[in-house]
Amino acid sequence: MAVLQGAEAKLYVGDFYGRPCIMKERFVKNYRHPTLDKTLTSQRIKSEVRANLRCKMSGIQTPTIFMINFETNSIYMEEIQDAVTVRQHINTVQASETNPSLVFEQLQPLAEVIGQTLAKMHTSNVIHGDLTTSNMLLEGDPKDLSLFLIDFGLSSFEASAEDKGVDLYVLERAFLSSHPNSQNVFDCIISAYKNQMIDRTVCKEVLSKLNEIRLRGRKRTMVG
Amino acid sequence: MATYKKIRHILYPDLTITLALYTGLESCKVLRKYVMEGEIVASLLKTSMIVDPFQVLTAANKAVHLWQTNNMITKNVHSEILYCLSPSKNISESFRSFGAADSDDSVFVAVVDDAEDKTLNRISEILEQSPTDIDAVASLSDTELISKAYKLTEEELSVYPILDALVSRIAAKEIITAGKGKS
Repeated sequence: MAVLQGAEAKLYVGDFYGRPCIMKERFVKNYRHPTLDKTLTSQRIKSEVRANLRCKMSGIQTPTIFMINFETNSIYMEEIQDAVTVRQHINTVQASETNPSLVFEQLQPLAEVIGQTLAKMHTSNVIHGDLTTSNMLLEGDPKDLSLFLIDFGLSSFEASAEDKGVDLYVLERAFLSSHPNSQNVFDCIISAYKNQMIDRTVCKEVLSKLNEIRLRGRKRTMVG
Repeated sequence: MATYKKIRHILYPDLTITLALYTGLESCKVLRKYVMEGEIVASLLKTSMIVDPFQVLTAANKAVHLWQTNNMITKNVHSEILYCLSPSKNISESFRSFGAADSDDSVFVAVVDDAEDKTLNRISEILEQSPTDIDAVASLSDTELISKAYKLTEEELSVYPILDALVSRIAAKEIITAGKGKS
């Protein structure tokens, strides 16, 4: 049974030998040359799995990978049950509380965990590629701040400050458009990111890139 | 009493995977001899390298899939289970660290497609005992050795169960070991 369909893949829920499981199947794109489609799809599966694992190894919670089926281009992975997206959670908090300073107070601990997690991820040179509050899950009681990163379908491995800056910029845009009046929460993510980054020089470079990207947009000017 | 487990493959329901644990043995020598000579077709796994039957199931599930799609690295599905279980790309090293040794006093057995439990019954006959509860393998595992073999990091072990770290690595073996071993 398909539960969700995106631009790249379909998601099915099921069971993998007794464990709740999600199957992510990348479908064939008919507008692409078959050979190219095959190569691209298998590369994306590999980079998705690799990024998931590299995050896991640096102590970030990600869904456990159960199986990869290259015949059907599917990844079988753990379904994080009893979870809400960070997006849902922020919306709930914003809807239930009218006083802006109390909203901030409630979201601050979460913002710190997000910032720390992204710093760990970037320290391992993983670029998520699609950071949004929908690609972050809170398992169990949101107050426990058990954060999972999901959907590494657009991820890559880059050491450059530019790519890390773009990653944060993408999150900022997604964050502010999904959650109006939350600049202070995003700033809190960035300051936690700053505190967590062990390499001060890298951190400085990334944040100055972020400022630069804010002025020019995500794409670099390609003149000359 | 059913103490072993016989499980249908998720993609190939006609194929089963049987998992069983034998403990308190004098040695594995005789049983290993039967397997070496091809009289018994099964994977004999080292219990100290297993934290949970699910770890073996993940490897066996993968091995059967590779077998059915003609993508095996080793000669047969039972050696493939051993290879899939191991994080190493080196076949003989995989066998050495994850296969049961003559001197072991316990063994974890995996059999693919064991019609009417013929193979399992034969193994019980040779070992002169019946299988024990497979979940008891948890008490036989050497987590230090396992962490070393799979190169588990302290960071990940502090965040989630060791089993999840192993399962992901087994499922993604060819992807994570293909690159140039840069961290």
